[in-house]
Amino acid sequence: MKYTVNQVERGEDELILNYVSLSEEVMRVLAFMREDEKKILGWKDSVQVVLNPEEIFYVESVDGRTYAYTEEEVYKINYSLAKAEALLCGINFYRCSKSMIINIDCIAGLKSLSSNRIDATMRNGEHLLISRTYASGFRRRLKGE
Amino acid sequence: MDLKKKKDRLLIFFAKEAGIELKAALYFLCFLFFYFLYRIFQGVWEASIIHMVEMIFSTYAMGYLQVYVFSNFDEGDTFTRKTFFYSAFCSGLYTVVAYLGKWFDESMGTLGLFYIYVLLAYICAYWMYKIKRLGDTKALNEDLKAFQERSREHGECD
Repeated sequence: MKYTVNQVERGEDELILNYVSLSEEVMRVLAFMREDEKKILGWKDSVQVVLNPEEIFYVESVDGRTYAYTEEEVYKINYSLAKAEALLCGINFYRCSKSMIINIDCIAGLKSLSSNRIDATMRNGEHLLISRTYASGFRRRLKGE
Repeated sequence: MDLKKKKDRLLIFFAKEAGIELKAALYFLCFLFFYFLYRIFQGVWEASIIHMVEMIFSTYAMGYLQVYVFSNFDEGDTFTRKTFFYSAFCSGLYTVVAYLGKWFDESMGTLGLFYIYVLLAYICAYWMYKIKRLGDTKALNEDLKAFQERSREHGECD
């Protein structure tokens, strides 16, 4: 990727990213540009916790509420699934069904199922299903396309 | 019903239809092969168009039966006792159609062989899909490993 650094006399510091398609590299740069937004606030038993996206295995929307699942804990988060996806998609999270986004770095193994579905075994042994609607995009993401 | 739900239903319908088309084509080819072999062994070098039409219609009908009556059992998915029972039943139905349509001149021995052949075709379809999924699983895990390695390398660079 080409980049240009210019020093300007006045105005504010500004980063402009021109891209043709949202490739993995572009998404990483986007994620870097959104560094401040990376932390996610979660609640468990009225206690607020700051979550690093790397420790979140997956995010799920249940009955209009959104939950972040770590290796052993579940935290309620105050984002819609769409907002969480926008925040996390640049850092190896992927929408795997209508109600779930998954952290690809926390997947231990994958199994191909019938009807183009994929079973993902997480590092804590939990099984998540990547629905056929999202499976093709997931395969492309793994290949870095 | 909103547009999205209608679209989803339409997609599910087309997915089922595509599955029926695929199975009809697969089993029709299997039947045709058996039928041609039978004709050749009989010393007959022509095939009846009527028989072939009956074959293609029966495979379509069986596809609809599988999807809408036999709880959409899919021999390409898992092969449970229930799947085996349905496969044996469908093979039986095909044999009855073959008998009524006189595909094999009502030869009971050939009909018995045909029944076993169709049942084997169901089992082979399951094995074919299973082998395909095994290969796909291997490729998926290789891609996952490569992705995670790339991700770690980028993380270390940061």
